[in-house]
Amino acid sequence: MASGAVAGCMGALLGLGGGVFLVPFLNAWFGLDFKTAAAISLITVIATSSAVSAGTTGRNLINLRLGMLLEVASAAGGVAAGLTISHISDVTLERGFAGIAALIAVLMLTRLEPRNVIEDATLDPGSFGGTFHDEESGGEVLYRVRRLPLAMVVSFIAGNVSAAFGIGGGILKVPVLTAWCGVPMRVAAATSSLMIGVTAVASVPIQYANGYVNPPLAGAAVLGVLVGSRGGLWFGARARSKWLKLLMAMILMLVSVIYLRRTL
Amino acid sequence: MRQERSQITRLEVQIGRMLVAGVTLSALLLAIGLVMWLFDPGYWNALWLLNAGLIVLMATPILRVIVSLAEYVAMRQWFFVAVTTLVLLELTVTVVVAFLKR
Repeated sequence: MASGAVAGCMGALLGLGGGVFLVPFLNAWFGLDFKTAAAISLITVIATSSAVSAGTTGRNLINLRLGMLLEVASAAGGVAAGLTISHISDVTLERGFAGIAALIAVLMLTRLEPRNVIEDATLDPGSFGGTFHDEESGGEVLYRVRRLPLAMVVSFIAGNVSAAFGIGGGILKVPVLTAWCGVPMRVAAATSSLMIGVTAVASVPIQYANGYVNPPLAGAAVLGVLVGSRGGLWFGARARSKWLKLLMAMILMLVSVIYLRRTL
Repeated sequence: MRQERSQITRLEVQIGRMLVAGVTLSALLLAIGLVMWLFDPGYWNALWLLNAGLIVLMATPILRVIVSLAEYVAMRQWFFVAVTTLVLLELTVTVVVAFLKR
């Protein structure tokens, strides 16, 4: 339950599911096999998604249209992985994941400054862009979404990775949305938080039907994550974007090292 | 444009309320189930409550997609009606496969 609380807090803060922390914990410390750990983690991803999104609605931070469009890809990725993942070896997947996480961490570190917001809110944001009240500059800001096909491809991969590793997939989407697609960090995190629930539901019922979800353990993890996500929301409203990105890059590096060590 | 923006915000608020309801109900079922399970792991009611909590949790995002679909139909935004329908179809595939495996 304590690990659920910590994972929930970090997840809420960064728009990730928190599974990045929960899977290694359940797998390595608790001794559950990888598929069970991933399935329980995916269940908590749904809880984080619903709880965090409920806390951020009404502030125009969630981009519903962009989120729904990207969900077409991320849910497809989840369904595809949910149906086929048993044919691929865990070691291969974990090595690939370690590489991707490290790569994104480096990219985040080299792109700390761009905030992707246009401070003149009277311009047209286009059909997928939007405006929101920015607490850092204290005014209405505007953003436009660029490179939608790239966002779709990454969402599909995120859906695959989500179902395979029991993580939300925000770990892949948020950096790409902020670095290349013009989406501000807070919008990317809020939109991703909403999306990961649907991404997880695209594969978790299959794992549940396969008996990989242990109800008491899943219940304890979910309750822990719900408590933790409260703390994350509180802290997230007060932290600066730059520090959020730095923290995210450090966590990605750590995850990469953990996964690499597990496969050696 | 203004009016469209306010409709989108309304959808966001509706979704927010729905998510709160789903999470609260699921957390209640899980908490009661967990306490009962800790006292007596063999008690079937405990497992029933835990499973019910997990199913409510999984149903919440699906319900969110259905609510969005209804709202986009009401707003006559056909592109997003198509997009949302696609998402719903994908989720249906998973749920059907899960039922077949049980």
